[in-house]
Amino acid sequence: MERKKVVIVGCGDGGIILAHRLIKDFDVTLIDKNTMHYFQPWQLHIAFHGAKEKKIEKRKLLPRRANFVNKEVKSVDLANRKIVLSDGEMGYDYVVVDTGSRGDYSKIPGHNELFNEFGDTHSDTAGAQRLWSKVKSFSGGDAVIGISYPTYKCPPSPNEAAFMFEEYINKHKLKPKTKITFVTPFPRAYPAEPINEFVEQAMKERGINIMTFFDVESIDTKNRTISSIEGDTIHYDFAALVPPHVGAGIVKDFSDNDGFIKTDKFKLNIGNYDDAFCMGDATNIQTSKSAVTGHIQSEVISERLRGKDARFNGRTHCPFEFGYHKATFVISSYTAPALKLKPSTTNYLMKMGMKYLAWPVLKGEMNWFFGFYFNMTDPDKRAKSK
Amino acid sequence: MADENKKIVDARGSSCPGPIVELSKAYRVAKVGDIIEVWATDPGIKADAQAWANKTKNQVLDVKEENGVIKVTIKILNR
Repeated sequence: MERKKVVIVGCGDGGIILAHRLIKDFDVTLIDKNTMHYFQPWQLHIAFHGAKEKKIEKRKLLPRRANFVNKEVKSVDLANRKIVLSDGEMGYDYVVVDTGSRGDYSKIPGHNELFNEFGDTHSDTAGAQRLWSKVKSFSGGDAVIGISYPTYKCPPSPNEAAFMFEEYINKHKLKPKTKITFVTPFPRAYPAEPINEFVEQAMKERGINIMTFFDVESIDTKNRTISSIEGDTIHYDFAALVPPHVGAGIVKDFSDNDGFIKTDKFKLNIGNYDDAFCMGDATNIQTSKSAVTGHIQSEVISERLRGKDARFNGRTHCPFEFGYHKATFVISSYTAPALKLKPSTTNYLMKMGMKYLAWPVLKGEMNWFFGFYFNMTDPDKRAKSK
Repeated sequence: MADENKKIVDARGSSCPGPIVELSKAYRVAKVGDIIEVWATDPGIKADAQAWANKTKNQVLDVKEENGVIKVTIKILNR
């Protein structure tokens, strides 16, 4: 039988795992304008511990038989089954869009200037290193850490940044001279209530102030203030703000205002197209924008491409660092609220272990383990067994 | 009611913080006098929308439930 051609647009974490799942039965092509792959969670460790970046060539993570095309995709035309490249076109039997999300600093006046000065944990190695230089030279004052806009990548990361910063200044005896404020557009320090209980308690214990309903409207880098659409203004000497995130907006007729792709939350198809899928950060699905989501979705798409009616259940499984060698996991689905998992050292070791497991996981070498692990920790199954 | 100023924010099927996220995105582009009606299926929206309105000095005009859909009507007094 002739092998069907699957084109994965954007060679991200989910796309790479999917390529490994499909390579036995399909002709797989991945297209990406970048050739290097970065372990993005490590940006927090670059920014707050001065760690070295972790990266690898994308080609080395892919199955040998997969084709890798290093080009920019201009648009995907589902009606005509056509991928438009910077030079030419490509057809497909199935297309999977895995174009991710990126920080858009133009949404908020002054954000570009702030980013140029302070960097952040959501751009690239240079941005994270810029933030580390600001952390190292910090000698006290007002520190503002948080989220500028409600759509962003890696939900726990801003809280993690606040905890890691507090740990750093505590270690360097700057605590009495520092006021840390965590700003968030959400009604709570962490949106999922069961996890928020731990977050709020830890922030209280460590003297981190929480400002909720704080959606950043503008940043004044001259006077060093950040203002919210809700009417508050806060002064900063140090700032680590997660930028608003947007999608690539390349799927004709199926992109929302922020460039995210209108995706069926269960089947992961784009619109009514059975031959088109979207995964990971690129979707408009209200779920965690994180690699683990793409990982879990890769299994659903792989099954659907083989004619099975697999469904995505909204599953997330996000590691969440609390500082001082403690971490928890945010485990939830569309129907099961986050489990109340107490931050622990064991969870911290598991989170840190991902640094070493990241590439084997992407190469599908850990599927035997994660299949078992995700199944064992499935929040829907726990809810049923109660 | 001046319906031309009414904006419906359909957050049905999304759970916390989905509905409040959609509300705050609508507020970003709202003007004084606008009416925002949030549709949600997550009951958390009732308390969250009230807390949000208190914080932003806007007014919750009405909260009603129709066929499992919670509709919260908010008048924008402050923007």
